[in-house]
Amino acid sequence: MKRRFFIGAAVAAAALITTANSFAADWPKRPINLVVPYKAGGGTDAYARAISAAAEGVLDVPVVVVNKPGSGGLNGANAVVGARPDGYTMMMTSGGSFLLSTMTRETKIDPLESFDFVAQVGQLRTALMVPVNSPFKTAQDVIEAAKADPGSLRWAHSGRGGFHHVGGLGFLSMNDIKAQDVPFKGGGPTRAALIGEQADFGFLGVQQLRGFEEQIRALAVNSEDRDTIMSDVPSFGELGVPFAAVSSPVIVFAPKGTPAEVTSAMEAALSEIVAKPEFAELLAERGTGPVYASGADAKAGLAAMKSDAEPLVKDLTN
Amino acid sequence: MEIFPALLTVITDPTLILAIILAAIVGMVVGATPGLTASAAIAMLLPVTFYMSPIFALAFLYVIGKSGRYGGSVAAILFNTPGTAASAATQIDGYPLARAGKAGKAMKVATISSVIGDLMGDVMLVIGFGFIAVIALKLGPPETFAIYFAAFVVIGSVIGKSIIKGLISALLGIIVAMVGLDPISSEERYTFGSFDLSNGIGLVPLMIGVFVLGEVFAQLEARKKAKGEIKENPNDPNGYSLSFDEYRPCIPHAIRGGFIGAGIGVLPGLGSAIAAFISYGEGKRRAKNPEQWGKGALEGIAAPEAANNAVSGPSMAPLLALGIPGSTIGAILLGVFLIHGIQVGPTLFLTDKELVYQLFACGMLGIIAYGLIGYFGASQMARLILRVPSSVLYPLIFMTAFVAAYSARGSVFDVTVMVAAGFVGWLMRKYDFNVAAFVISFVLAKGAEETFRQSLLMSDGGAMIFIERPIAAAFLFIGIAAMGFRIRQIMKEQRIVKGALGDA
Repeated sequence: MKRRFFIGAAVAAAALITTANSFAADWPKRPINLVVPYKAGGGTDAYARAISAAAEGVLDVPVVVVNKPGSGGLNGANAVVGARPDGYTMMMTSGGSFLLSTMTRETKIDPLESFDFVAQVGQLRTALMVPVNSPFKTAQDVIEAAKADPGSLRWAHSGRGGFHHVGGLGFLSMNDIKAQDVPFKGGGPTRAALIGEQADFGFLGVQQLRGFEEQIRALAVNSEDRDTIMSDVPSFGELGVPFAAVSSPVIVFAPKGTPAEVTSAMEAALSEIVAKPEFAELLAERGTGPVYASGADAKAGLAAMKSDAEPLVKDLTN
Repeated sequence: MEIFPALLTVITDPTLILAIILAAIVGMVVGATPGLTASAAIAMLLPVTFYMSPIFALAFLYVIGKSGRYGGSVAAILFNTPGTAASAATQIDGYPLARAGKAGKAMKVATISSVIGDLMGDVMLVIGFGFIAVIALKLGPPETFAIYFAAFVVIGSVIGKSIIKGLISALLGIIVAMVGLDPISSEERYTFGSFDLSNGIGLVPLMIGVFVLGEVFAQLEARKKAKGEIKENPNDPNGYSLSFDEYRPCIPHAIRGGFIGAGIGVLPGLGSAIAAFISYGEGKRRAKNPEQWGKGALEGIAAPEAANNAVSGPSMAPLLALGIPGSTIGAILLGVFLIHGIQVGPTLFLTDKELVYQLFACGMLGIIAYGLIGYFGASQMARLILRVPSSVLYPLIFMTAFVAAYSARGSVFDVTVMVAAGFVGWLMRKYDFNVAAFVISFVLAKGAEETFRQSLLMSDGGAMIFIERPIAAAFLFIGIAAMGFRIRQIMKEQRIVKGALGDA
């Protein structure tokens, strides 16, 4: 009896292992759900939809974009972290915002530990912008004005704890200046406030400039090098203005424990999709574009950003 | 004059026309069914529109809002129960007319007046929107807060029978709106450690719960009690048709109603019901035959019906230009824009000008659609609605409510919210609290708090910023003046009551 049970169990286990193996080998068989933890219509969502559209011909199955918005991106992340690691549920998110929200909010999720990194497909950068009629012509003008009268300037961003806010905080603290922040809800309202001269300057996505060149002026993008798409905007790096390297790589994550064959197959597929001209075209009208990095590089980049952001978000933790 | 190319685009798209006609019918049916409101229908149909292109989705829901306001008049006239709050004023003269066998005539007057008012509102919107959009770019948080403030105060002043219960309802709405992330510091509050609550309470499940489930529960309860037979209205052979001579005295009332409605529509938060009552009161005051009003005057239908529909167009101005939802319908439309990646607010005119005018054009076609359908088919439709037994209708609505609440965000938590809101809505109705005040203050509270705190961050002198900026000061003044006016009115009413008791 006992023996028979043991044999049965062994057979069952063997069967399980073989199915798991063969299962990884003929991945993908079913449509892949790509969870976006934001509402449809945002910047990250645009990336996901471009991937879904350009995946045809590269992957044999459709990529279905599933929006699970809420709680600053943690809602969707919570859903994916507990999903079955079978390669049919993955998450695409704005890596910077995701990292920062796990650092400032109470959650068990750690982007570097709780997920496997598949690949990076894009990059969202924040930029220092002013209304078009502003007296500030350069980033240096802003710094000098803030030094002349500390605390008198107001700056707009799209919500505390987001990478635009933390990027702005980095700019202020690295240049040893003070200004009062005024948070708005999302990039669109922040841009509208800047156009209406409700704030002296603002930190918002560099792609927000697209189509609004007559209303706002971008003084510098918050990175070492210029943005690949909005390449007219100088970078803090080339201007010699100190800054904190906070940006938001758009990264595809898989639940921890997804078979390595599956993540590497998806990584290869993504690199192919991102290289398609169709993908770049779909993103160009939003002022964003493809920026590919392997899963390992994406993880290293996010880990570096974490150490950069740590001192800045210390006061934001709750 | 961007409206003309927009009209052309819309007219040459047969599927869009079909969507508009469908929306006109849906709105009418929903408006005419007692207990169902246009905003509840819009909330339930919202998930369907996710898969439409933006102009389809917006036009569909916008036209339902318009024809729903009109459809309410059918129920008000025929069954003496307003299909929507906005048509409660129509009931005053509509039902006596129906009792006198002139229901058909009354419905035709309601139809024509609704069309006149609605078109007037839309024309004013089209002409004025360009200017508003230019000014809107210069309005910041202090001005926006002042507009919210004015809206809040005026809601408070029309709260209904019991002022205390009305204020408690509004306060409850504000408290529920506070759940979730703090708009400025992004910290959690009132979440009691629940992850689901950190996302806040969704408008759509809340509305479906309060308006639809609450109503179904209330109907369930009403069914248990014995119910009187619906009296069959007598039929006057001359009561169905309407001649131009009969409508002629209504024209000035309809036009005045159009202006009153449009004026009220621009101010967020006031809404159709108030416009209808003000227009009715003003019409009666100026009428040549005030003694007839309330006993079955056709003018008494023209005035409120024109006004409640005229609100529809102009209420889009603060919504589109400033992102301030003045009504529950507005709040849902705001969500539709966001879902389709369109940023409502001062920059909308820069990014999606064509879409805005196409929406306006769809609205105008929608008015014509419900006007024609209503003029020729309102009484047939009303008979059809009467024939659907409530034992079929309410279970169907009940089920749809669950599907709609879940599918808006694909969230089971939202279904829980809806059920809870349903019980709250039912209890509020049962104990005479004001459901509308609860929902509209929920809608307004978030924006009001956000802009108030943004203003304080922007200001060097605290609350002085609201007085230093002239537009903000002007709206604050309007709000306070409205409050003062209302307090005077209440005191007058109380004096009358006391006087009456003294006489007795």
